[in-house]
Formats: sequence, C-alpha cells, structure tokens
Amino acid sequence: MGLLTRRSETAPCTVEVSHRFESLHAHVRFDNGAVVHPGDSVTVHGAPVVAAYGEVVREARFATIVRATPLERAWTRATGDLEFMELCEFSFSEELTL
Amino acid sequence: MNVQTSVEADPILAGANETTKMAHKTTLLNPRFYTTDFDEMDAIDVTPVREAWDDLLAQMRADPNRNHFRKTEEWDEVDWDAMEPELRAEAIDFLVSSLTAEFSGCVLYKEMKRRGNNKDICELFSYMSRDEARHAGFINDALREAGIGVNLGFLTKTKKYTYFKPKFIYYATYLSEKIGYARYITIFRHLEEHPEHRFHPIFKWFENWCNDEHSHGEAFALLMKSDPKLTSGRNVWWIKFFLVAVFGTMWVRDHARRRFHEALGVDIDWYDQEVFRKTSIMARQIFPIELDIDHPSWRRGLVRLQRAFEAMDRASERGGLAGRLGRAVAGARAGLAFARLYFTPSRRTEPPANPRLRPAW
Repeated sequence: MGLLTRRSETAPCTVEVSHRFESLHAHVRFDNGAVVHPGDSVTVHGAPVVAAYGEVVREARFATIVRATPLERAWTRATGDLEFMELCEFSFSEELTL
Repeated sequence: MNVQTSVEADPILAGANETTKMAHKTTLLNPRFYTTDFDEMDAIDVTPVREAWDDLLAQMRADPNRNHFRKTEEWDEVDWDAMEPELRAEAIDFLVSSLTAEFSGCVLYKEMKRRGNNKDICELFSYMSRDEARHAGFINDALREAGIGVNLGFLTKTKKYTYFKPKFIYYATYLSEKIGYARYITIFRHLEEHPEHRFHPIFKWFENWCNDEHSHGEAFALLMKSDPKLTSGRNVWWIKFFLVAVFGTMWVRDHARRRFHEALGVDIDWYDQEVFRKTSIMARQIFPIELDIDHPSWRRGLVRLQRAFEAMDRASERGGLAGRLGRAVAGARAGLAFARLYFTPSRRTEPPANPRLRPAW
C-alpha cells in the first residue's frame, strides 16, 4: 500500500440509539469484527437513525470504513491527544462568548 | 467546537410522542470517536492495587446512584421564558456543554469496554459508560424543558476516528472527573448556603451526582497506580501539561459565562481558585507534583490567557483578513501565556501507597 492511497470497505453494523430519560447514548458496532484504526472514517449508510424521545432504536445497517493512509494514521496518532478537552464539562461548545 | 446549535424546527422531535414541553430548537450532538492502543490497555494488571480495585468495583456494581437521577417533587418548575435572555443563553450553554461532556465520556468508555479483552478494565468501563449515559439522559430532559432537543443524527454522518494514547486517557479523564467532582460539590455547598441563587433545580442533584465523578476519578487513580511508570520520569512533564491545560481552559471558559455565575451568586475568581484547590488536594493521591496555584505568576498567567482568548473571539467576529491576522496574533499570545503558566514552578508531592479517597467536601 502506498503512503497516499486510501482503501475503503463495507461492513455490516448494528446501530443503537437511546433517547430515553434513563439513558442517552448512541453506538455503532461492526458485526463482522472490523476494527477501526486512528484516522479512519466511518459512514453509516441510510437515513439518519431517528429515535423519538423515550425510544431506543436498534437497527442493522451497513457502514463504509475509509482507511486512513499511513501518513494520515501517523498524523492522527501524533495529534489526536490534543482533543481531550471535550471530556470536560466546561469544554468549548462553540464560540467563547455567546 | 464540537456542538452546533441550530434554530430550525426539528421534524424528529415534532413527531415525537412525549409529555414534556415540545422542543423547538435542536442541538446537534457531534462527539468525537476515539481509538487507542487497545493491546496496551489489555496488558494493564491491577494486581498491585487489587484490594482497593475490588472494593471500588464492588461499589460501582452496587450502583448507589441508580435511583438518584429521577425527577421528584424537588424538581421545581423553571420559567425559561421569563429568564433574562443573557442568563438563559449561558444556562443553556452550560447544559449543552455538560451534556456533550457526559455523552463523549459515554462514547469513549463504551468503546474501551467493547474493544478491550481485559476483564477488570471492561467491567470498569461498562459502569462508567452506564453512569455517563444516565447523566446525559438527565441533562437532556432539563434541556427539553428549556425547549432544546438534541439531534442524535450524527451517526449517519462521516466520522473520523481520532487517537488517544492510553496514558493520556488516564491523565485527561482522571482530571476531568476529579475537577468535575470539585466543581459540582463547590456549587452545591455554595447553594446550600444561598438557596436564593438556585435558579435551576438541577443544582440540587449535584451532591450525589458528583459522587459518580469522584469514583470514576478513583478508578483512573488506581489504574495509574498499577504502573509506576505512568507517574514518574518524563511523564511528570505530561502530567503538568494536562494540569495546566485543564485548569487554564476552565478559567477561560468560566470567565466567559459571567451572567451565569452572577446569577449563582458566585465570584468566578473565588470559585475557580476553590476548584483548583480541591482538585490539587485530591490529585496528591496519585500525581507526584502539584501546581503552585498561589504563585503570583500563576494568576497573572491565567488572566493573560483569558485576555488572549477574548481577543481571539473579537477577531473572529471581525472576520476578513484583519480578523484572521488578529486571530493569529491572539493565538500566539495564548501560546505564550500557556508557556508562562507551564513554567510557573510546581511543588513535589509524595503520593501515598494506597491512593483511595472518599468524597470529603
């Protein structure tokens, strides 16, 4: 594989979106054991997964995984750590002043 | 820059069958997705801290807060429409950024749980992910009362997976959990003394809520304790970096929410210093250094950082070439202020053999 070539693949996946009072979460799981690496991009096919308030939606879908090039992977490994701040409650939501 | 708020009517919510007030604005949640070195995480061995670990996990398994996140008669009605617009905007921003943090934690922890093969680690991450999703659900409900719905449509948008080294996950999440505990308990205690400033009922829930943040922080302290390399040698410089970054961000961010803190009757300088103090005391459980937050150049550095970010914001508003130039200059100023903060002397501490702490405030 060249340094600049991207490969893509399609994987079956299960998406689960919970829009309930008890739990607000959204997850994607690859059913064929595909593993995502740093810098890869994942797009779940189809219309947005819609969960009305109070619902949990679990759907089987397909997803395209675009593999990062070795360069992109190295870059993501080197710089991804800088995005940790969003784990803090006082992280920046948009602009500094509202 | 991870959440966008749009003001359009939301077809998803408009069709929803629900009892709470109809949401008429939506916030698109757009969390990051993470990978890490899962082999390295699988290799963690908690044997050196086994007793404390089992004790903590038993507590998390028992889930003492499972009945806490319910709305009771203690949940007073909030008249969002009557709220002064500036306060309303800042209060909503507070809820949205809290929701984003909980949600991002949930996504991160779930990923760790799913990809890991280490039984101890997977169990821990499943409890933490459960707690974060529960917190997110509770905040989401408060947002709905304010007429804000969240849009979870991000799953079908293209997402790039970013990367955290395991040790950076420990430093960052340890600090974000412990500082979260310190922030919530400081607000809660303040409002106990001054209930007239409690403009939203969610603050009443903070006392038990922050115990979840506390125990998550404990888990990361034990993880770090299990491998002495994580808190020695060159890593001490990384620990200092994370301390400065987290404290600095909090200072800048809180000072941008003036109306919110005014309504709470909280002096921001006092509040932030108090949160730094509590967090520093807790972090003695595991970090071999603490920032000298009473050093005169520490406070000066924070104010410089804040001014730089304010200038960056004004430059963005101006736009155009002048705006871009202004941003670059302000960015350089922020970098310099950060460096000054970083090189403010720190103090060495002696972490105890057993790091376990109980919530003390």
